[in-house]
Amino acid sequence: MIHFYHVTKRFDRYSTALHDITLHIEKGEFAFLTGPSGAGKSTLLKLILRQIEPSEGQVVVNGRNLNAMKRTQLPFFRREIGMVFQDFKLIDRMTVFENLSFILTVLNVPPKEHKKRTYQALRNVNLHHKLNAYPQHLSGGEQQRVAIARALINDPLMLIADEPTGNLDPELSQEILQIFAEANLRGSTVLLATHDRELIRASGRRTITLEHGRVVDEKARTIERPMVREGLFGIGAS
Amino acid sequence: MPREFVSPRNEPETPSNTFSYFFREAVRRIWVSKRNSFVAIAMIAISLLIVGAFLLVAENLGRAAAQWQGKSRIIVYLEPTVTPQQVQAVDTFLAARPELARRRFVTREEALARFKSYFANLSEVVGQLDDNPFPPSYEVEVDPRLVQSRGLVNNIALLRGMAGVEQVQYDWQWLMRLRRLVNIINVIGLVAGGILGIAACFTIANVIRLTMVLYREEIEIMRLVGATERIIRGPFLIEGFLQGTIGGVLAVALLFVLYEAARRSLAPSSSILWSFLFLGFLPWQKMAALIVGGMLAGWFGSWLSVRGNTSDAT
Repeated sequence: MIHFYHVTKRFDRYSTALHDITLHIEKGEFAFLTGPSGAGKSTLLKLILRQIEPSEGQVVVNGRNLNAMKRTQLPFFRREIGMVFQDFKLIDRMTVFENLSFILTVLNVPPKEHKKRTYQALRNVNLHHKLNAYPQHLSGGEQQRVAIARALINDPLMLIADEPTGNLDPELSQEILQIFAEANLRGSTVLLATHDRELIRASGRRTITLEHGRVVDEKARTIERPMVREGLFGIGAS
Repeated sequence: MPREFVSPRNEPETPSNTFSYFFREAVRRIWVSKRNSFVAIAMIAISLLIVGAFLLVAENLGRAAAQWQGKSRIIVYLEPTVTPQQVQAVDTFLAARPELARRRFVTREEALARFKSYFANLSEVVGQLDDNPFPPSYEVEVDPRLVQSRGLVNNIALLRGMAGVEQVQYDWQWLMRLRRLVNIINVIGLVAGGILGIAACFTIANVIRLTMVLYREEIEIMRLVGATERIIRGPFLIEGFLQGTIGGVLAVALLFVLYEAARRSLAPSSSILWSFLFLGFLPWQKMAALIVGGMLAGWFGSWLSVRGNTSDAT
């Protein structure tokens, strides 16, 4: 699903964010991307979303070479990816409902379905009672969950998250990981960037570790199939 | 289950409900940036008001010219001391020529009475004179198609040479000058309006640019979640279009109000000269043209802004 072939990303002569990265994440996989701050995690995610282009090498996502992708094809490609940003990227002037239904407008979903699908997406993250709230009136954890609901509203092929549990307490982090695990069970390929080693350890999933822009460690997954109902991440799904 | 990747060739670029989204967003953005929108609308309205004012003056002068052209006249002014025999000779000369046969003799008294009725303000001045200064004359109606014929020009030359004839004046000489004036007014209006229109376009472009800066973060988010450039640009284009439309409608409405106010305050007390300017308001085609001009200026202004600004890679 996601393939990096000898990818290097330089921002200028003195700053190389990624060095010769080759990695493969298969369809339906759940993988963690970890490493200290500045290791290149966000750069790697930006390459997958083609926010930036590699200086060298090829990035192939869902069978499409992003280097060769035309600008006009980019929006359609991005619609297949649910992205959860570190800073949430919610639109402050829109209510929670509008933040989600806007995506449905972009995705050509008939307006009469917006309410139902938005409500369902928010119910999945247990925020259906905050439909009419504005993002700035929500806590960090709630905003994070709205961002996740937005990413999942279209059942994306890939779910990519950049530090989705940053600044959250451990219990909330587990809850959010649970949501990702459920999305993975529904068929989405999940790539989750985090530096929270405790979370990774508890999950037992494949982990790609970056340091100074290089893959320094790859731990294959230890659990064959995630069992959400039995509490994959240490808590039971409720 | 997640959907398979959909090729852009198979998916419509804009959702069916996009246009209502464009309009809602555009109206909301105009409302949010009220002050900037007001400046843009005012610029468009003022530009079109000026164009409209020139068009209106030209239109009315054109109407007056058309009225006169329908009854193109030659006026044969006779000398105040003309004898009845000389008048008879002129009359016989005119009657013998079919193109000059539709004539009417205007006595000195009638000429004075006309002047008093046309120029009421000056009638007192004329009344103070010892003698009637107006000469007798023949008003000859000529077929407008013959006004520039060789035969007519020759006959006028003969008339000028007759005893008792002081001057021969053709209406169409100044009618043609009036037509030239109408053309000049139209050109001035269009040039001035064009210059102001371009300024209005750039004002709108700047207002839209400001709005885009205001929405920079939102545009970035839209792009990251898969919005096409068309979806991103649409509300901005509609915003400019709406500003231009409102400006155009406002210009026509203002022009009508000013025209009516001027007509009411100037026409009753003024002479026939003023009445030429109040023969009627602009025809609907020209009103529509002004509004469409506003729409196009708005659209073009916003297009100038969105053309390069939203396509920055994200």
